[in-house]
Amino acid sequence: MNTLRASLLLAAKDLRIERRGYQTLGLVIVLGVLIVVVLAMALGTGGAGPGPGAAAILWVAYLFGGTLCFEKTMAVERQDDALAGLLLAPIERGAVFAGKLLANLTLMFCLAAVITPVGILLFHFDLSAAPVRYALITTLGMIGFAAIGTLFAAAAASSRLQGGLLAMLVFPLTLPVVLTSTQLMLATFDPARAQSGAAGLSILVAFDVIFLAASWLAFDLLIEP
Amino acid sequence: MFPPRHGLIPMFWTITLLLLALAGGLLAVYAPTEATMGEVQKIFYLHLPVALNMFLACSVVFVGSVGYAWQRRPAWDDLAQAGAQVAVLLCSVTLITGMIWGRSAWGHWWTWSPRLTFSLMLWLLYVVYLMIRPSIESPQRRALVSAVYGMVAFVDVPLVYLSTKLLPDIHPSGVDLDPAMWVTLIAWSIPITMLTAGLIHARFALNGAVRGAATTEPPVIPTDHRPRMPEAHA
Repeated sequence: MNTLRASLLLAAKDLRIERRGYQTLGLVIVLGVLIVVVLAMALGTGGAGPGPGAAAILWVAYLFGGTLCFEKTMAVERQDDALAGLLLAPIERGAVFAGKLLANLTLMFCLAAVITPVGILLFHFDLSAAPVRYALITTLGMIGFAAIGTLFAAAAASSRLQGGLLAMLVFPLTLPVVLTSTQLMLATFDPARAQSGAAGLSILVAFDVIFLAASWLAFDLLIEP
Repeated sequence: MFPPRHGLIPMFWTITLLLLALAGGLLAVYAPTEATMGEVQKIFYLHLPVALNMFLACSVVFVGSVGYAWQRRPAWDDLAQAGAQVAVLLCSVTLITGMIWGRSAWGHWWTWSPRLTFSLMLWLLYVVYLMIRPSIESPQRRALVSAVYGMVAFVDVPLVYLSTKLLPDIHPSGVDLDPAMWVTLIAWSIPITMLTAGLIHARFALNGAVRGAATTEPPVIPTDHRPRMPEAHA
Protein backbone atom coordinates (compact mmCIF):
# COMPACT_ATOMS: atom_id res chain seq x y z
CA MET A 1 0.00 0.00 0.00
CA ASN A 2 1.53 3.32 -0.96
CA THR A 3 1.88 6.18 1.51
CA LEU A 4 -0.71 8.44 -0.13
CA ARG A 5 -3.40 5.74 -0.17
CA ALA A 6 -2.61 4.81 3.45
CA SER A 7 -2.83 8.47 4.52
CA LEU A 8 -6.18 8.96 2.78
CA LEU A 9 -7.56 5.75 4.32
CA LEU A 10 -6.47 6.83 7.82
CA ALA A 11 -7.94 10.31 7.39
CA ALA A 12 -11.20 8.79 6.09
CA LYS A 13 -11.25 6.46 9.12
CA ASP A 14 -10.91 9.40 11.55
CA LEU A 15 -13.57 11.41 9.73
CA ARG A 16 -15.93 8.39 9.66
CA ILE A 17 -15.58 8.09 13.46
CA GLU A 18 -16.29 11.82 13.72
CA ARG A 19 -19.37 11.61 11.47
CA ARG A 20 -20.93 8.97 13.72
CA GLY A 21 -21.15 11.29 16.73
CA TYR A 22 -19.82 14.76 15.79
CA GLN A 23 -18.20 14.75 19.25
CA THR A 24 -15.09 16.77 18.31
CA LEU A 25 -16.71 19.07 15.76
CA GLY A 26 -19.66 19.87 18.05
CA LEU A 27 -17.27 20.74 20.86
CA VAL A 28 -14.88 22.91 18.82
CA ILE A 29 -17.66 24.81 17.05
CA VAL A 30 -19.33 25.71 20.35
CA LEU A 31 -15.91 26.68 21.79
CA GLY A 32 -15.17 28.81 18.70
CA VAL A 33 -18.53 30.59 18.88
CA LEU A 34 -17.97 31.21 22.61
CA ILE A 35 -14.52 32.72 21.97
CA VAL A 36 -15.88 35.02 19.24
CA VAL A 37 -18.86 36.09 21.40
CA VAL A 38 -16.69 36.71 24.49
CA LEU A 39 -14.20 38.78 22.47
CA ALA A 40 -17.04 40.68 20.75
CA MET A 41 -18.46 41.55 24.19
CA ALA A 42 -15.03 42.42 25.62
CA LEU A 43 -14.33 44.80 22.72
CA GLY A 44 -17.66 46.55 23.23
CA THR A 45 -21.03 45.79 21.69
CA GLY A 46 -22.03 49.35 20.85
CA GLY A 47 -19.21 50.53 18.54
CA ALA A 48 -18.43 49.95 14.87
CA GLY A 49 -16.43 46.76 15.63
CA PRO A 50 -12.70 46.06 15.36
CA GLY A 51 -12.67 46.42 11.52
CA PRO A 52 -9.78 44.49 9.90
CA GLY A 53 -8.77 43.37 13.42
CA ALA A 54 -11.75 40.96 13.26
CA ALA A 55 -9.61 38.65 11.12
CA ALA A 56 -7.06 38.43 13.96
CA ILE A 57 -9.84 37.72 16.48
CA LEU A 58 -11.16 34.93 14.25
CA TRP A 59 -7.65 33.47 14.26
CA VAL A 60 -7.80 33.15 18.06
CA ALA A 61 -10.95 31.01 17.66
CA TYR A 62 -9.28 28.88 14.93
CA LEU A 63 -6.22 28.32 17.13
CA PHE A 64 -8.03 27.18 20.28
CA GLY A 65 -10.53 25.10 18.28
CA GLY A 66 -7.68 23.56 16.28
CA THR A 67 -5.76 22.56 19.42
CA LEU A 68 -8.84 20.74 20.69
CA CYS A 69 -9.13 18.94 17.31
CA PHE A 70 -5.50 17.74 17.57
CA GLU A 71 -6.08 16.41 21.07
CA LYS A 72 -9.32 14.63 20.17
CA THR A 73 -8.16 12.95 16.94
CA MET A 74 -5.16 11.50 18.79
CA ALA A 75 -7.17 10.58 21.91
CA VAL A 76 -9.34 8.31 19.73
CA GLU A 77 -6.27 6.12 19.20
CA ARG A 78 -5.73 5.64 22.93
CA GLN A 79 -9.03 3.75 23.31
CA ASP A 80 -8.66 -0.06 23.18
CA ASP A 81 -4.93 0.32 22.36
CA ALA A 82 -5.82 1.37 18.82
CA LEU A 83 -2.49 3.21 18.56
CA ALA A 84 -0.53 -0.03 19.04
CA GLY A 85 -2.57 -1.62 16.22
CA LEU A 86 -1.97 1.39 14.00
CA LEU A 87 1.79 1.26 14.60
CA LEU A 88 1.88 -2.48 13.90
CA ALA A 89 0.16 -1.99 10.53
CA PRO A 90 2.56 -2.39 7.56
CA ILE A 91 2.53 1.31 6.67
CA GLU A 92 5.06 4.09 7.11
CA ARG A 93 4.87 6.28 10.22
CA GLY A 94 4.84 9.23 7.83
CA ALA A 95 1.51 7.97 6.47
CA VAL A 96 0.07 8.00 9.99
CA PHE A 97 1.24 11.61 10.37
CA ALA A 98 -0.22 12.62 7.00
CA GLY A 99 -3.54 10.87 7.78
CA LYS A 100 -3.88 12.62 11.12
CA LEU A 101 -2.87 15.95 9.56
CA LEU A 102 -5.52 15.60 6.82
CA ALA A 103 -8.22 14.72 9.37
CA ASN A 104 -7.21 17.67 11.58
CA LEU A 105 -7.18 20.07 8.64
CA THR A 106 -10.63 18.91 7.50
CA LEU A 107 -12.01 19.49 11.00
CA MET A 108 -10.35 22.94 11.16
CA PHE A 109 -11.86 23.90 7.78
CA CYS A 110 -15.31 22.84 9.03
CA LEU A 111 -14.73 24.94 12.15
CA ALA A 112 -13.70 27.96 10.04
CA ALA A 113 -16.75 27.51 7.79
CA VAL A 114 -19.04 28.01 10.80
CA ILE A 115 -17.02 30.50 12.88
CA THR A 116 -16.15 32.93 10.06
CA PRO A 117 -19.78 33.89 9.23
CA VAL A 118 -20.43 34.35 12.98
CA GLY A 119 -17.41 36.68 13.20
CA ILE A 120 -18.49 38.58 10.05
CA LEU A 121 -21.95 39.03 11.56
CA LEU A 122 -20.86 40.13 15.02
CA PHE A 123 -17.93 42.35 14.02
CA HIS A 124 -19.52 43.98 10.90
CA PHE A 125 -16.44 42.66 9.07
CA ASP A 126 -16.59 43.20 5.29
CA LEU A 127 -15.01 40.09 3.76
CA SER A 128 -16.27 40.88 0.25
CA ALA A 129 -13.16 43.02 -0.49
CA ALA A 130 -10.91 39.92 -0.78
CA PRO A 131 -12.69 36.62 0.05
CA VAL A 132 -10.31 34.43 -1.98
CA ARG A 133 -7.22 35.98 -0.40
CA TYR A 134 -8.77 35.56 3.05
CA ALA A 135 -9.39 31.85 2.35
CA LEU A 136 -5.86 31.43 0.95
CA ILE A 137 -4.14 33.04 3.96
CA THR A 138 -6.32 31.08 6.40
CA THR A 139 -5.61 27.79 4.61
CA LEU A 140 -1.85 28.39 4.49
CA GLY A 141 -1.77 29.45 8.14
CA MET A 142 -3.79 26.41 9.19
CA ILE A 143 -1.47 23.98 7.34
CA GLY A 144 1.60 25.18 9.30
CA PHE A 145 -0.32 25.27 12.57
CA ALA A 146 -1.82 21.80 12.07
CA ALA A 147 1.57 20.29 11.14
CA ILE A 148 3.11 21.29 14.49
CA GLY A 149 -0.14 20.50 16.33
CA THR A 150 -0.35 16.97 14.90
CA LEU A 151 3.30 16.33 15.80
CA PHE A 152 2.96 17.35 19.46
CA ALA A 153 -0.49 15.74 19.82
CA ALA A 154 1.37 12.47 19.22
CA ALA A 155 3.80 13.42 22.01
CA ALA A 156 0.91 14.32 24.31
CA ALA A 157 -0.94 11.05 23.58
CA SER A 158 2.17 8.92 24.18
CA SER A 159 3.39 10.78 27.29
CA ARG A 160 0.08 11.16 29.15
CA LEU A 161 0.66 14.91 29.12
CA GLN A 162 -1.77 16.80 31.34
CA GLY A 163 -4.72 18.38 29.53
CA GLY A 164 -4.26 21.88 28.19
CA LEU A 165 -0.50 21.57 27.92
CA LEU A 166 -0.68 20.78 24.20
CA ALA A 167 -1.67 24.42 23.60
CA MET A 168 1.42 25.50 25.56
CA LEU A 169 3.66 23.38 23.33
CA VAL A 170 2.05 24.37 20.04
CA PHE A 171 1.39 28.12 20.44
CA PRO A 172 4.98 29.38 20.91
CA LEU A 173 6.27 27.23 18.03
CA THR A 174 3.54 28.41 15.66
CA LEU A 175 3.78 32.10 16.60
CA PRO A 176 5.59 32.94 13.31
CA VAL A 177 2.68 31.48 11.29
CA VAL A 178 0.10 33.26 13.45
CA LEU A 179 1.96 36.58 13.28
CA THR A 180 2.48 36.36 9.51
CA SER A 181 -1.15 35.35 8.86
CA THR A 182 -2.61 38.13 10.98
CA GLN A 183 -0.22 40.71 9.48
CA LEU A 184 -1.26 39.56 6.00
CA MET A 185 -4.93 39.84 6.95
CA LEU A 186 -4.37 43.39 8.20
CA ALA A 187 -2.45 44.23 4.99
CA THR A 188 -5.31 42.81 2.89
CA PHE A 189 -8.18 44.61 4.61
CA ASP A 190 -6.42 47.77 5.84
CA PRO A 191 -5.25 49.93 2.85
CA ALA A 192 -2.80 51.83 5.11
CA ARG A 193 -0.72 48.66 5.64
CA ALA A 194 -0.94 47.16 2.13
CA GLN A 195 2.83 47.34 1.43
CA SER A 196 3.78 44.25 3.47
CA GLY A 197 1.25 41.98 1.71
CA ALA A 198 3.19 40.58 -1.27
CA ALA A 199 6.32 39.30 0.51
CA GLY A 200 4.29 37.89 3.39
CA LEU A 201 2.48 35.26 1.30
CA SER A 202 5.71 33.65 0.07
CA ILE A 203 7.06 33.70 3.67
CA LEU A 204 3.89 31.88 4.80
CA VAL A 205 4.37 29.21 2.09
CA ALA A 206 8.02 28.78 3.18
CA PHE A 207 6.94 28.37 6.84
CA ASP A 208 4.44 25.67 5.82
CA VAL A 209 7.10 23.73 3.90
CA ILE A 210 9.54 23.92 6.84
CA PHE A 211 6.94 22.98 9.46
CA LEU A 212 5.61 20.09 7.33
CA ALA A 213 9.11 18.71 6.72
CA ALA A 214 10.20 19.09 10.37
CA SER A 215 6.98 17.49 11.69
CA TRP A 216 7.09 14.62 9.17
CA LEU A 217 10.69 13.81 10.20
CA ALA A 218 10.14 14.17 13.96
CA PHE A 219 6.81 12.27 14.13
CA ASP A 220 8.61 8.92 13.96
CA LEU A 221 10.60 9.82 17.12
CA LEU A 222 7.57 10.81 19.19
CA ILE A 223 4.85 8.31 18.39
CA GLU A 224 4.76 5.34 20.79
CA PRO A 225 1.98 2.98 21.88
CA MET B 1 34.45 18.24 31.21
CA PHE B 2 37.22 19.54 33.48
CA PRO B 3 37.46 17.75 36.83
CA PRO B 4 37.19 20.30 39.65
CA ARG B 5 40.38 19.01 41.36
CA HIS B 6 42.55 20.56 38.66
CA GLY B 7 41.42 23.97 39.82
CA LEU B 8 40.56 25.01 36.27
CA ILE B 9 36.98 25.92 37.14
CA PRO B 10 37.83 28.27 40.07
CA MET B 11 40.52 29.82 37.86
CA PHE B 12 37.99 30.26 35.00
CA TRP B 13 35.50 31.98 37.31
CA THR B 14 38.22 34.21 38.84
CA ILE B 15 39.35 35.35 35.37
CA THR B 16 35.71 35.92 34.29
CA LEU B 17 34.96 38.05 37.36
CA LEU B 18 38.22 40.00 36.97
CA LEU B 19 37.43 40.72 33.31
CA LEU B 20 33.89 41.73 34.28
CA ALA B 21 35.29 44.13 36.90
CA LEU B 22 37.69 45.53 34.29
CA ALA B 23 34.78 45.99 31.84
CA GLY B 24 32.83 47.75 34.61
CA GLY B 25 35.79 50.05 35.23
CA LEU B 26 36.08 50.87 31.51
CA LEU B 27 32.36 51.65 31.42
CA ALA B 28 32.67 54.03 34.37
CA VAL B 29 35.81 55.95 33.39
CA TYR B 30 36.75 55.27 29.75
CA ALA B 31 33.56 54.90 27.65
CA PRO B 32 32.34 58.26 26.35
CA THR B 33 28.83 59.43 27.19
CA GLU B 34 26.59 59.42 24.12
CA ALA B 35 25.47 62.90 23.02
CA THR B 36 21.69 62.45 22.67
CA MET B 37 20.83 59.69 25.15
CA GLY B 38 23.39 60.35 27.88
CA GLU B 39 24.23 57.76 30.53
CA VAL B 40 21.34 55.41 29.63
CA GLN B 41 23.08 54.53 26.36
CA LYS B 42 25.72 52.67 28.41
CA ILE B 43 23.22 49.83 28.97
CA PHE B 44 23.96 48.96 25.33
CA TYR B 45 27.37 47.48 26.34
CA LEU B 46 25.53 44.84 28.36
CA HIS B 47 22.51 44.51 26.04
CA LEU B 48 24.32 43.60 22.80
CA PRO B 49 26.75 40.93 24.17
CA VAL B 50 23.95 39.32 26.21
CA ALA B 51 21.67 39.26 23.13
CA LEU B 52 24.42 37.63 21.02
CA ASN B 53 25.19 35.05 23.74
CA MET B 54 21.48 34.22 23.89
CA PHE B 55 21.88 32.66 20.41
CA LEU B 56 24.90 30.70 21.68
CA ALA B 57 22.73 29.24 24.48
CA CYS B 58 19.94 28.43 21.97
CA SER B 59 22.54 26.60 19.83
CA VAL B 60 23.54 24.54 22.90
CA VAL B 61 19.87 23.49 23.30
CA PHE B 62 19.86 22.40 19.65
CA VAL B 63 23.15 20.47 19.95
CA GLY B 64 21.95 18.72 23.13
CA SER B 65 18.58 17.90 21.53
CA VAL B 66 20.12 16.45 18.35
CA GLY B 67 22.61 14.52 20.51
CA TYR B 68 19.81 12.99 22.58
CA ALA B 69 17.62 12.13 19.57
CA TRP B 70 20.66 10.45 17.98
CA GLN B 71 22.28 8.60 20.90
CA ARG B 72 19.60 8.59 23.66
CA ARG B 73 22.23 9.34 26.33
CA PRO B 74 20.79 11.37 29.26
CA ALA B 75 23.88 13.63 29.40
CA TRP B 76 22.77 15.24 26.11
CA ASP B 77 19.41 16.05 27.69
CA ASP B 78 21.22 17.61 30.69
CA LEU B 79 23.17 19.78 28.25
CA ALA B 80 20.02 20.85 26.33
CA GLN B 81 18.26 21.70 29.60
CA ALA B 82 21.29 23.71 30.78
CA GLY B 83 21.30 25.61 27.47
CA ALA B 84 17.58 26.41 27.81
CA GLN B 85 17.97 27.62 31.40
CA VAL B 86 20.79 29.98 30.41
CA ALA B 87 18.94 31.04 27.21
CA VAL B 88 15.89 32.09 29.28
CA LEU B 89 18.12 34.01 31.71
CA LEU B 90 19.95 35.83 28.90
CA CYS B 91 16.72 36.49 27.00
CA SER B 92 15.19 37.99 30.17
CA VAL B 93 18.24 40.26 30.61
CA THR B 94 18.03 41.26 26.92
CA LEU B 95 14.33 42.09 27.27
CA ILE B 96 14.80 44.08 30.51
CA THR B 97 17.83 46.06 29.30
CA GLY B 98 16.08 46.64 25.95
CA MET B 99 12.99 47.95 27.72
CA ILE B 100 15.03 50.33 29.91
CA TRP B 101 16.81 51.59 26.79
CA GLY B 102 13.52 51.87 24.89
CA ARG B 103 11.88 53.85 27.69
CA SER B 104 14.65 56.43 27.42
CA ALA B 105 14.91 56.46 23.60
CA TRP B 106 11.27 56.13 22.53
CA GLY B 107 9.37 57.12 25.69
CA HIS B 108 7.67 53.70 26.00
CA TRP B 109 8.65 50.59 27.94
CA TRP B 110 7.35 48.44 25.09
CA THR B 111 6.73 48.84 21.36
CA TRP B 112 5.89 46.05 18.90
CA SER B 113 9.07 46.62 16.92
CA PRO B 114 10.50 43.53 15.14
CA ARG B 115 13.47 42.96 17.43
CA LEU B 116 11.52 43.42 20.66
CA THR B 117 8.80 41.08 19.41
CA PHE B 118 11.50 38.62 18.32
CA SER B 119 13.10 38.62 21.81
CA LEU B 120 9.70 38.13 23.46
CA MET B 121 8.79 35.23 21.16
CA LEU B 122 12.21 33.63 21.76
CA TRP B 123 11.74 34.00 25.51
CA LEU B 124 8.31 32.30 25.28
CA LEU B 125 9.77 29.45 23.19
CA TYR B 126 12.40 28.53 25.77
CA VAL B 127 10.30 29.26 28.88
CA VAL B 128 7.77 26.72 27.56
CA TYR B 129 10.66 24.24 27.03
CA LEU B 130 11.47 24.48 30.75
CA MET B 131 7.85 24.57 31.95
CA ILE B 132 6.70 21.52 29.98
CA ARG B 133 9.46 19.20 31.26
CA PRO B 134 8.11 18.55 34.78
CA SER B 135 4.69 17.65 33.27
CA ILE B 136 6.08 14.47 31.69
CA GLU B 137 6.63 11.72 34.25
CA SER B 138 8.85 9.22 32.42
CA PRO B 139 12.46 10.57 32.23
CA GLN B 140 13.01 8.96 28.81
CA ARG B 141 9.80 10.42 27.33
CA ARG B 142 10.56 13.78 28.93
CA ALA B 143 14.01 13.85 27.34
CA LEU B 144 12.65 12.76 23.95
CA VAL B 145 9.73 15.23 23.81
CA SER B 146 12.12 17.98 24.99
CA ALA B 147 14.65 16.99 22.33
CA VAL B 148 12.07 17.21 19.54
CA TYR B 149 10.80 20.53 20.95
CA GLY B 150 14.40 21.82 21.22
CA MET B 151 15.11 20.94 17.59
CA VAL B 152 11.86 22.43 16.24
CA ALA B 153 12.37 25.54 18.42
CA PHE B 154 15.84 26.11 16.93
CA VAL B 155 14.45 25.75 13.39
CA ASP B 156 11.74 28.20 14.51
CA VAL B 157 14.23 30.96 15.50
CA PRO B 158 14.93 32.22 11.92
CA LEU B 159 11.19 31.91 11.13
CA VAL B 160 10.34 34.07 14.14
CA TYR B 161 12.90 36.61 12.92
CA LEU B 162 11.45 36.58 9.37
CA SER B 163 7.86 36.93 10.59
CA THR B 164 8.69 39.92 12.80
CA LYS B 165 10.23 41.70 9.78
CA LEU B 166 6.64 42.33 8.62
CA LEU B 167 6.14 44.66 11.58
CA PRO B 168 7.07 48.36 11.30
CA ASP B 169 10.62 48.95 12.67
CA ILE B 170 11.97 51.74 14.89
CA HIS B 171 14.91 49.80 16.36
CA PRO B 172 18.42 51.04 15.39
CA SER B 173 19.56 48.81 12.50
CA GLY B 174 23.31 49.49 12.38
CA VAL B 175 25.94 50.23 15.01
CA ASP B 176 27.96 53.43 14.40
CA LEU B 177 30.45 53.61 17.24
CA ASP B 178 33.38 55.70 18.42
CA PRO B 179 36.70 53.66 18.79
CA ALA B 180 36.48 54.02 22.60
CA MET B 181 32.95 52.60 22.46
CA TRP B 182 34.18 49.62 20.41
CA VAL B 183 36.90 48.91 23.01
CA THR B 184 34.32 48.98 25.82
CA LEU B 185 31.94 46.77 23.82
CA ILE B 186 34.66 44.15 23.22
CA ALA B 187 35.73 44.41 26.89
CA TRP B 188 32.13 43.52 27.85
CA SER B 189 31.67 40.80 25.18
CA ILE B 190 34.56 38.63 26.44
CA PRO B 191 33.47 38.20 30.10
CA ILE B 192 29.78 37.88 29.10
CA THR B 193 30.65 35.04 26.71
CA MET B 194 32.79 33.42 29.44
CA LEU B 195 29.94 33.88 31.91
CA THR B 196 27.53 32.17 29.47
CA ALA B 197 29.89 29.22 28.98
CA GLY B 198 30.51 28.97 32.74
CA LEU B 199 26.81 29.07 33.57
CA ILE B 200 25.98 26.41 30.96
CA HIS B 201 28.76 24.19 32.36
CA ALA B 202 27.59 24.71 35.95
CA ARG B 203 23.95 23.96 35.11
CA PHE B 204 25.02 20.93 33.04
CA ALA B 205 26.90 19.51 36.03
CA LEU B 206 24.00 20.31 38.38
CA ASN B 207 21.39 18.73 36.07
CA GLY B 208 23.54 15.59 35.85
CA ALA B 209 23.87 15.46 39.66
CA VAL B 210 20.10 15.93 40.14
CA ARG B 211 19.37 13.17 37.60
CA GLY B 212 21.93 10.91 39.33
CA ALA B 213 20.36 11.56 42.74
CA ALA B 214 16.86 10.84 41.38
CA THR B 215 17.87 7.52 39.80
CA THR B 216 20.12 6.22 42.63
CA GLU B 217 18.51 3.56 44.81
CA PRO B 218 18.37 4.41 48.55
CA PRO B 219 21.03 2.47 50.56
CA VAL B 220 19.81 -0.88 51.90
CA ILE B 221 20.35 -1.22 55.67
CA PRO B 222 21.32 -4.81 56.63
CA THR B 223 18.78 -6.55 58.86
CA ASP B 224 21.21 -6.95 61.79
CA HIS B 225 22.02 -3.23 61.94
CA ARG B 226 18.49 -1.91 61.94
CA PRO B 227 17.80 0.41 64.90
CA ARG B 228 15.69 -1.38 67.47
CA MET B 229 12.64 0.09 69.08
CA PRO B 230 13.19 0.71 72.79
CA GLU B 231 11.38 -1.85 74.83
CA ALA B 232 8.40 -0.59 76.74
CA HIS B 233 8.77 -0.60 80.52
CA ALA B 234 6.05 -2.21 82.50
